[in-house]
Amino acid sequence: MKVRAIDCPNCGGSVELRGYSHSLSAVCIQCLTVIDTSHPQLTILKQFQDANRVRPLLPLGSRGRFGGKLFEIIGMQERQIMVDGTTYSWQEYLLFNPYAGFRYLSVYRGHWNFIEPAKGLPETTTRYLGKPALKYQGETYRHFQTAEAETSFAMGEFPWKLEVGQKVTVKDYIAPPKLLSEEITPDEVTYSVGTYQTGEEIAKAFALTTPLSLASGVFANQPAPAANLGSTWSTFVLLLVGLFVLSIFLKVISRNEVVFDQRLHYSSADKESAKVTDIFELKGRTSNVEIESETDLLNDWMYLDMSLINTETGQAWDFGREVSYYSGTDSDGRWTEGNPKVSVNIPSVPSGKYYLRIDPDMSDDAGLHSASYTIKVTRDVPKFWLLWLAIPLLMLPALWRTIKRGTFETQRWAESDYATSSSSSDDDDD
Amino acid sequence: MTNLFLGNLKYWLYGLTLLGGAGVAEWRGYSFTSINEHQVAPKSVRDNPGAYRSHYSTYTRYSGGK
Amino acid sequence: MNPLAGSDRFRGNCPNCGAPIQFTFLQAVQTVCKFCQSVLVRQGVDLQLVGKVADPLIDASPIQLGTEGQYGGQAFQVVGRIVYEYLGGRWNEWYLAFSNGTFGWLSDAQLEYAISFLVKSTAPAQATRGVQVALGKELFTVTTFTRARYIGVEGDMPFTTWDKTESNFLDLRSANQRFATVDYSEQPPLVFTGNLVDYDDLKLRNVKQFEGWQ
Repeated sequence: MKVRAIDCPNCGGSVELRGYSHSLSAVCIQCLTVIDTSHPQLTILKQFQDANRVRPLLPLGSRGRFGGKLFEIIGMQERQIMVDGTTYSWQEYLLFNPYAGFRYLSVYRGHWNFIEPAKGLPETTTRYLGKPALKYQGETYRHFQTAEAETSFAMGEFPWKLEVGQKVTVKDYIAPPKLLSEEITPDEVTYSVGTYQTGEEIAKAFALTTPLSLASGVFANQPAPAANLGSTWSTFVLLLVGLFVLSIFLKVISRNEVVFDQRLHYSSADKESAKVTDIFELKGRTSNVEIESETDLLNDWMYLDMSLINTETGQAWDFGREVSYYSGTDSDGRWTEGNPKVSVNIPSVPSGKYYLRIDPDMSDDAGLHSASYTIKVTRDVPKFWLLWLAIPLLMLPALWRTIKRGTFETQRWAESDYATSSSSSDDDDD
Repeated sequence: MTNLFLGNLKYWLYGLTLLGGAGVAEWRGYSFTSINEHQVAPKSVRDNPGAYRSHYSTYTRYSGGK
Repeated sequence: MNPLAGSDRFRGNCPNCGAPIQFTFLQAVQTVCKFCQSVLVRQGVDLQLVGKVADPLIDASPIQLGTEGQYGGQAFQVVGRIVYEYLGGRWNEWYLAFSNGTFGWLSDAQLEYAISFLVKSTAPAQATRGVQVALGKELFTVTTFTRARYIGVEGDMPFTTWDKTESNFLDLRSANQRFATVDYSEQPPLVFTGNLVDYDDLKLRNVKQFEGWQ
């Protein structure tokens, strides 16, 4: 079968019918007259204003492959809807293959959709996350928008009688990257399924030499960029489990060995307050040393100037701590201030033989100040604060992705029937 | 299952590096607080503890209290 | 038993132009002479001229008489055709003879295909778009209401079409891609059930060729 051409009844120009006898209307490219081609006696349906002429992004006659099949663009429509007083327009391309039939490509602000007729009906009507939804082929499609679409301009041919200004009510439901459209007229209901395509994919399918314009904003069924949030949070949980296992391991291998424990005394009457302890051994790998002191202070303070000294290498670690404890009663009852206990942790101390030099000090006023205090030295105490710090740090990427997804979804739904100032951004799981 | 690892590869690398770093730090007993460390001749301090001058020189006498 | 085999198919000559006629299947009662487009109905051993197909029915459907294909594990051959016209255009109903002796219909509307078989179900006296109808044990929803008329036939038919004019038709679908139609041109209405299919599913051979397309 060969393509035939007809003569435009208005201007006499040649109009090719690349859709053969399927084309029931065709637009004369010269004079923009819409011709009824369903009967040999060609009649005029309407005429487009030249002022409304739109340049198609994909030239009519171009061929591209989808799902392994070759399709030819034989028609283009510019359609528009009015929402809250604003007109939104998009282009729809009619794709034709003489065996496989008709498909559509729609484009809006750089977002493309490959549309084919749905074979089955949606299984059920339901609600999902606060919106009406349709279940189709096992997937739940949430209602996105209901609008009256009107054809404002067209080029090429169509397998129906194109009427300029013809309005059709369309309901769109989304399950990104898919879109389910429902078109209802008094005598007919049709469903079509769209699959989101990027400009790059379309340019590749049609082997375009110049790239198509970049997508702006977020489109109804545009898939969210990040990995599935469920798997992201699962990763966090697994890392948390790893953290837990690591903590257990560190606890198990820590020596937690008390190497020195003694009660000492200080009095301001002592001539020489500095003293040195017996030598004790710090065993094992380089790790921390914890020195704890418990005093019997009451309404007094003491300063402990200490040094941990290695007998063999001469390395010394100097540190000091104030200890104070006060208590009394007033109109509100008993009060306390300070803590009679103190603890110091010295990091990265190599193993070896050590002793402590302790020089306590108390108030140098006239009174007699004395205190007894214990010194306890523990080798390799498991301290987990680094691991506690790791928890929020581990959570950061998952939190970040969740926030980014939230803003993406807010942008998506901003174009829907549900856009309000207080839009609750429901997460799509994929 | 593979998607869990491949789709979150950067996350895994970041997380395991973080855990590795924390584990090594814990192992070596690292800390943000550093105790003043220096060399000293040991014998003289054991014989004469009073003569030792602590390098913890930033201490100023506590002059508060009730 | 292949209804297309055997020499006991009806033979005769066209009463209008004398061309030899052989029906493609045993149960055919009507045929169209390929040479003079006369519609002939079998009366006993004779062929009676009942009319002529005025409109050349050449259209762009890839399916034609003699096209072969497969459905449900069975091979079929296209032996007849009815062309309908309605407000929105035309569509074809191709009559299929299966190798297992059964017959079915291949609906071809704007290159959307469906195969269906006559079933003994009761259809409602009337229904509109959106109404749910139980046919046999299945539940369908009416998707399209069409008022159409026959504008032509081709090949062999198991019934006469010449006496049919404008009638109502319903298209019904279900969630699992099942398809049904109700033909109100007879009383009681004829019910057909089947499936929507893609072109590739039918593995069609001997189809129309289009210049510039593989």
